[in-house]
Amino acid sequence: MFSVILYGRNDSHGYNLHKRAAISFNAIAEVMSDPDDEILFVDYNTPDDHPTFPEAIHDTLTDKAKRVLRVFRVRPEQHVHLKSKTHLVALEAQSRNVALRRSNPRNRWVLYTNTDMLLVPRREDESLSSIFRDLSDGFYQIPRFELPEMLWEAAFDRKDPAGNLTKLRDWAVRFHLNQVVHNFMPMKYDALGDFQAALREDMFAIHGFDEDMLLGWHCDSNLAARLALYRGRVDTLIDKVFGYHCDHTRVAAANNKGRQTKMNDQDRFIWDVSSPYLPAQADTWGWPDLEIEEIRLNRDTSYERFTTGLAAAMEPATEPYRSTNLDWHLYLDLSYDVRHTLPFVCDQVLTYPRSTAVMLVATRPELVSRFATAWRAMGFTGPILIPSECEGLPTSDPAIRTGAFSELVGMADLFIFEFGLATQNPEEVVRTGRPEGPSDTRNLKMVARLFASAASTELETRPNGRRLPRRFIGINVIYNKFWPLFTDHIAANINPFCSQVLAGVPRQDKSLKGKVLRFRGRNGF
Amino acid sequence: MSDAGIMRRFSETVRKFRLGRRVKDFLQDSEQADFHRLYLRARVLARSGAFEAAVPLYQRALDLEPTFDEAMEGLGEALDVLGQTERAREKYVAARRIRAEMRLGAPDRHFVLRQRGHFTAEVLAYDAVVRSLKKNVLPYIARGNAYLASGQPKNALANYNHALKLRQDLPAVAALKGEALSMLGRYSEAVHSFDAALRAQPDDAEALSGRAIARLGLGMVEEANTDWQRQFELLKGRASARACIALRMADYATALPELESAHEKEPNDPYWHLYRFTARHRLGLPADPAGLPSMDGWPGSLLSLLAGRITPDEVLKRANTDGRRAEAMFQMGVLAFDRDRRSAETHWKEVVERSSPSLIEHAAASNELARLSSSRIVNART
Repeated sequence: MFSVILYGRNDSHGYNLHKRAAISFNAIAEVMSDPDDEILFVDYNTPDDHPTFPEAIHDTLTDKAKRVLRVFRVRPEQHVHLKSKTHLVALEAQSRNVALRRSNPRNRWVLYTNTDMLLVPRREDESLSSIFRDLSDGFYQIPRFELPEMLWEAAFDRKDPAGNLTKLRDWAVRFHLNQVVHNFMPMKYDALGDFQAALREDMFAIHGFDEDMLLGWHCDSNLAARLALYRGRVDTLIDKVFGYHCDHTRVAAANNKGRQTKMNDQDRFIWDVSSPYLPAQADTWGWPDLEIEEIRLNRDTSYERFTTGLAAAMEPATEPYRSTNLDWHLYLDLSYDVRHTLPFVCDQVLTYPRSTAVMLVATRPELVSRFATAWRAMGFTGPILIPSECEGLPTSDPAIRTGAFSELVGMADLFIFEFGLATQNPEEVVRTGRPEGPSDTRNLKMVARLFASAASTELETRPNGRRLPRRFIGINVIYNKFWPLFTDHIAANINPFCSQVLAGVPRQDKSLKGKVLRFRGRNGF
Repeated sequence: MSDAGIMRRFSETVRKFRLGRRVKDFLQDSEQADFHRLYLRARVLARSGAFEAAVPLYQRALDLEPTFDEAMEGLGEALDVLGQTERAREKYVAARRIRAEMRLGAPDRHFVLRQRGHFTAEVLAYDAVVRSLKKNVLPYIARGNAYLASGQPKNALANYNHALKLRQDLPAVAALKGEALSMLGRYSEAVHSFDAALRAQPDDAEALSGRAIARLGLGMVEEANTDWQRQFELLKGRASARACIALRMADYATALPELESAHEKEPNDPYWHLYRFTARHRLGLPADPAGLPSMDGWPGSLLSLLAGRITPDEVLKRANTDGRRAEAMFQMGVLAFDRDRRSAETHWKEVVERSSPSLIEHAAASNELARLSSSRIVNART
C-alpha cells in the first residue's frame, strides 16, 4: 500500500540518535499491515568500512521492522561528485530520490518522514495501511507534535512499539502535547517534512525531489510547493493520524549552526517555484542507472555472512586460549596466529561492496588460502588479486587472480598487506623469539617494496573513474618492525595489538619526510 | 472567586453572547447569500478560535452547496476541536468523497485542469501570502491556479500576468496564461502565449496540448494535430493521456490499444468503456453494445444510448450542460456514420459549433469533418 522513505547515515546526528531511530523504525513498522508495505532507508555516504546505520542498530529493531526494512547503501564513491558543492555529508533530495526510484511499484503511496517520528493512528483499530487504502488521491500532510526528550528517552522501550504508541495516546492528553502549528501555504504546517504523503505516480510525474538542493533545509517546503501546484491543494490527514517528533535539541545536529546555518535559498526553492516539474533532472533523478546495494536485516545479514565466511575458512579452536607476547625483545619476531587474526581481517572487508577487487600481498600461504575461502563464503564476487612477485602462495582458489603487480594495482579497490613468516608452521607457538629465514627475509622485502609502491602511487594508479583514496589493511603491523613502515605511509588509528590489524588511507603528508617517503616508495628503495 | 475572576468570566460570557448574536444576524442576512461568504466568515471565526460560532456558518454554506468540500472539511476541523471526534471524522471523510466524485479533467490536459474541488481556501490562503511576499511568484501562480481550476479564468489571468511582471522567464506561467486566455476564448493571444512557453521548453507536453486546443479554437485543425502528435510521442507510458490525444485526432486505431490499457488500469471509469466502444465502432470492429455497463447519471445515459437501451432524444433530454450535449451529439454521429454520413456530419458540425475546443469530442468531431471534407474532394476529383 505504501512505501515509507527515510534517510541517514551511520554517524551521530543529534542527541541519542540510536534510540530515537529504533523507536521510530519499530513504531512505523507497527502501523503497517499490508504485505507490500515497506520502509526504505537510504544509508547515504557512510564510510565503506562501517556498516549501514540500520545494521549498526539491528539488535534494537523488532522482527517486523527488520522484515519491512530495505536499506539502500549509497557509497562515498557515489557521493563524491557532489562533495565539493556541499558542506553536508548526507543529502536529502538525492537520498529520497534513490529510494523512490527503487520503491515497490505496487504501492500507490509514498510517505516521506524521518527517523525520529512516531505515527499514531487516531483510532486504535486502524493501521496506516488501512488509512492509505481508503484514501482518495491527493497530497497529504499532518501537523507535527513535539515529544520532550525526557519522555521518549526515559519511558520508551525500543522493542515495544505497541506499548510506546499506547503511552503516547495517554501522554498527548495528560501533558497537552497536541498543538497544531499552522503555517503559510503551501507549507500548511510547521515541520512539514515529517509527514508528506504523495501518490507514487505523482512523485514520478514531478521528477522527485529537487536534486539542486544541496545545502540542506527546505527540501520539504520545496516538495510542498511543487505538489501543491500539481495537486492544487495540500490536504490534511489530521483526522486520521497524529505525528510525534522525538525532540532532540539538547545537542545541535550537524546541520544546525543557529543563525550561521547554511541553507538552500528559500526564494529560489520555495517562493519562486513556478512549476512542479524539474525537466532538467527528468531522466536522472534518483540515479536510475546506478547500481545501489540493497541490504536486508532479516536475511543474508552481515553477521550471517561473517560467520559463514569464517566457518568455511577455519575450524573451531581446540584449546581455551592461545598466547602471544609484547615483550620488547620480541619486536623482531613476526610470527602470528592466522586463525586468530582472520576474523579481524574479515571484519575490515565485510562492509565493502561484494564486487570489490582486493589486492592481497602476503607471505604466508595459510593466510591466503583461508582468506580466499572466507572471501567467497562471505558472498564476495570480486577477485582477490595476488601479484606474481609474491612467491610460494596458493593460486588455485577460484577467487584468486594473479599477474604482475603493475598490472593489478590499477584494478584494486582495496589493499591487504601481510607481513608474516612464510616458514611459520600453523601450529607453532607465536612470539617466542623466532628468527626469519632467508626466504622469509626475501619475501618480506618484496611485500614491503610493493606496499611502499602501492601507497606512494595510490593516486596515480586508481581505477578509472574512482575519486576517493583506496583503503590499505595491514596484517601483523602492530608493535613489530613493520609498524613504522605501515604507519609512515598509512593514516591508521592506534589499534590493540591483539587484533594484529591496522587500516587507513595513504597519508597526504606534504612535509619533506613525506615527500622522501613517497620518492622512495615509487622507486622501490 | 476574586473580583478579577468574576470580571473575566463575565466578559467571556458577554463575548460569547455578542458573537452568537452576530452569527445569528449574519445567518439571517445571508439567507440569499452565496455560500462563499458564509465559508469565509466561518473560517475567520475558526481561525480566531470561535469554533462553536463557526459550525452553523459552515453548516449553512453546506446547505446551500452540498458539494462544497472545503466547508465540509472546515466543519470537520471545528467539530474535532470541539471534541466531537466521530462527527468530525465523518465530515473529513465526506469532504474527501466529494472531491473523489468530482470528474477530473482529461488526463492529457494541463495539471491545473485536472484538479478538482472548490479552491476557495487556496485563494484565501494565498491572499494572505501575497500580503507578506509581494515580490515572489509562487503565491500569484498558486492563486491563479486556484482560480483557473475553479473556472475563473479572468482572475487567473490577472495573477499570471502579475507573476510574469515580476519575472519574465517563466515558461510554465506563460503556458498557464495561455490556458486562461483559451478559457476566455482569446485563442489568438493564447497561441502567442503558448508559443513563448514552447520556445523555452519545446518538449512541454502540457503546453503543446494547450496550444493545440487554442489552434483548434482558431480553426487550425492541421496545426492542432501537429501539436497533439508531438504530445503523443512525448507521453510514452501514459496510456490514458495518449488515448485522449489519439481520440482528439480521431485516430481510433492508435487510440484503441491505449484505451485498452487505460481501461485495464481504471476499470471503473465509465468513459473508458464509452471511448473503447467509440473506437471499435469507428474501426468497424465488433463493439459488443450489450456488454456496456448500465449505470445511473452521466455518462451512463451515453452508454445506454450506445447499448440501444434509450433513444437519442432521451439522451439529449438528460444532457443538462453544453458539454454533455456535445458528448451526446458526437456519439450520435458515431452511431449514424456507417448508415448515414450526412446525418453524422450534421451531428458533428453541431458539436464543433456549440462546444468548447477543449472537449475531446470537439476535437474529434473537427477531425472527422476535416476527413469527410477531404474525402469528398478526392471523390470529386476522381
